[in-house]
Amino acid sequence: MKKLIAILIAFLALAAPAQAALQVDVTTPNPQPLPIAIPEFVPTTPAEAQAGANIASVIRADLERSGLFKPIDPKAYVDKITNPNVAPQLANWRVINAQALVTGAVLTQPDGLLRAEFRLWDVYGGSQMIGQRVWASPNDWRRIAHKISDMIYEAVTGEKGYFDTRIVFISESGPAIKRVKRLAIMDEDGANPIFLTRGDYLVLTPRFNPTAQMIAYMSYIGTKPRVYLFDIETGRQEMLGNFPNMTFSPRFSPDGNKVVMSLENAGNSDIFLMDLRSRAVTRLTTDPAIDTAPSFSPDGRQIIFESDRGGAQQIYVMNADGTGQRRVSFGSGRNSTPVWSPRGDMIAFTKQDKGRFNICVMRPDGTGERVITSGWQDEGPTWAPNGRVLMFTRSAQGGRGSEIWSVDVTGRNERRVLTPGNASDPAWSPLITNGGS
Amino acid sequence: MTRTRPTTADEPVLGFAVSVLFHAAIVAVSLFYFRNVFDAAPETHAVPVDLIQVAEKTNVQAMAPPPPKEEKIETQQTPIEPPPLPEFQEAEPSPEVTIPKFKIQPEPRKTARQQQDFNALLNKLTKAEKTPPKNAKTADRIIQGIGAMNGMTADLADALKSQIYRCWSPPVGAPNAADLVVDFDLQLNQDGSVASLRPSLGSQAAASANPYTRAAVDAARRATYQCQPYRLPADRYAQWREVDPLRFDPREAMGVR
Repeated sequence: MKKLIAILIAFLALAAPAQAALQVDVTTPNPQPLPIAIPEFVPTTPAEAQAGANIASVIRADLERSGLFKPIDPKAYVDKITNPNVAPQLANWRVINAQALVTGAVLTQPDGLLRAEFRLWDVYGGSQMIGQRVWASPNDWRRIAHKISDMIYEAVTGEKGYFDTRIVFISESGPAIKRVKRLAIMDEDGANPIFLTRGDYLVLTPRFNPTAQMIAYMSYIGTKPRVYLFDIETGRQEMLGNFPNMTFSPRFSPDGNKVVMSLENAGNSDIFLMDLRSRAVTRLTTDPAIDTAPSFSPDGRQIIFESDRGGAQQIYVMNADGTGQRRVSFGSGRNSTPVWSPRGDMIAFTKQDKGRFNICVMRPDGTGERVITSGWQDEGPTWAPNGRVLMFTRSAQGGRGSEIWSVDVTGRNERRVLTPGNASDPAWSPLITNGGS
Repeated sequence: MTRTRPTTADEPVLGFAVSVLFHAAIVAVSLFYFRNVFDAAPETHAVPVDLIQVAEKTNVQAMAPPPPKEEKIETQQTPIEPPPLPEFQEAEPSPEVTIPKFKIQPEPRKTARQQQDFNALLNKLTKAEKTPPKNAKTADRIIQGIGAMNGMTADLADALKSQIYRCWSPPVGAPNAADLVVDFDLQLNQDGSVASLRPSLGSQAAASANPYTRAAVDAARRATYQCQPYRLPADRYAQWREVDPLRFDPREAMGVR
């Protein structure tokens, strides 16, 4: 007995000074936009002052729009960045509760290009997270800003940004009985909207190719609706294939070399694949029902599509050669317009249920269905290149016309995308890359 | 009279006495020992943070060029130029490029229907949180109760947790929620401020391989620094001076646990 007590005493004496560490599991996040300070970029000569202010302002707007950042009003700043090449006094930014700080400079290079240099600071951690230089033609200062926004977004969230992208959409104008629908393109933030067609013909369902240089869409030129290709660089458009009947619902393969689309024949539409180089056409479905809205998986191995072969529209998947067709959507209502996420992990689609149109997502095997938005008519989702945000067409009851809206895949941060006039059928471009240099 | 074997009733008395004795001793020793250490701490805390960033990260004199970073070359590329109008087959005069006026429309008024939408969204969110089975959480707590995390310190863990979580906004958009689970070793000063905060070796390795984990480590670090100082019972400092692991785990909240 005494021995046991002695051992216990010895044990306690040893254990006591090395007090065991407390273990804490924090499991309930409090998702909030990150407060970030983005002062004007410091100009090297007075000529760049406007560019410095403009770039900072576009970055603030980009990050705010994402819903994941809360840019702090510059009026609240208590410090002024005058030399971005020395470490900022982070204490002065803690005072205004900034968790991140972007400092930057703009200068004109000898070759006339505008260059922006910036650093992203972790205000509480006290370290520089990233530092980069970006340059472009002075006219492209918005793209410089979008590129910087993308890098900040990636540093903070761990995923690629989507600000240096464009949206192709259908711009609608005129009275309801004589609606003019034009193919239009704009930056992701709604800036630089440009009409690509004049509105002589109805256009629908534009889709980007993987380099964002080519658009496939359906147009009613002549008597039948057919799929056309539009080259953004040259402005040239061509009919895709010469089929006797209507073709519609085109979408590029991930490598950009093929277009998958629907071809109608005597009331039955099936899905076909066209190789853009050889122009060879392969038939993928043969069902007597309407098979349409095909969309490739990012690895190019599978195609998700809609079909009413089971009675009502539902979502099906098949291998890229047409084999292994099977239904994946078993939720309520009618499910249509499936789009495979660029990240591969989800399918976005339109659900028509109980008189409402909803934007939903599910896993590619049909599990984990979630309603992201619900409206009188929310339809036709398109993914941001990072698979994190969706845009879609929303029409409100009462004929106010259609609008483009965006929403985070979590269902948060629903926002209207500003377009000139009414707009529908958005398609998000991939991140714009630079071919040369 | 034969001596009876000690009954179970006697043991706790002895145990209790020993326990009281040693706890008192431990508290006394630690109070005495750590008083000196932490008197100076509040001042030393802020300084190293700034020194580190200047010395290690910036390492430049004023006006020196920025430290060499990856350069991102951007030149004018064709995608930037406004696309010309399409060539139509019909021989018509080329129309002028119409650049629509970019009108900023007023925020749509919140109609009753939109209000409903919002409610529907809220309901949806609430529903989602309900999904993890209640008993799973209880089971966790029991497992945590083994070892250092016992009844004596559970209240401390809860107190710390309730103060940290408010600042914690992890990148919940990650495709694989398990990538967002990160561990830290946190040392606290007696005034509740952070003395040191280091990601575990495992989390460091994961962060260097996975951008989502790196973002999760950054988010957890920001949270821990931002919500300091932590209000915890001063008389039990010995129990909370080190938190290891301080684990950030959003899986349950993301509905995947």
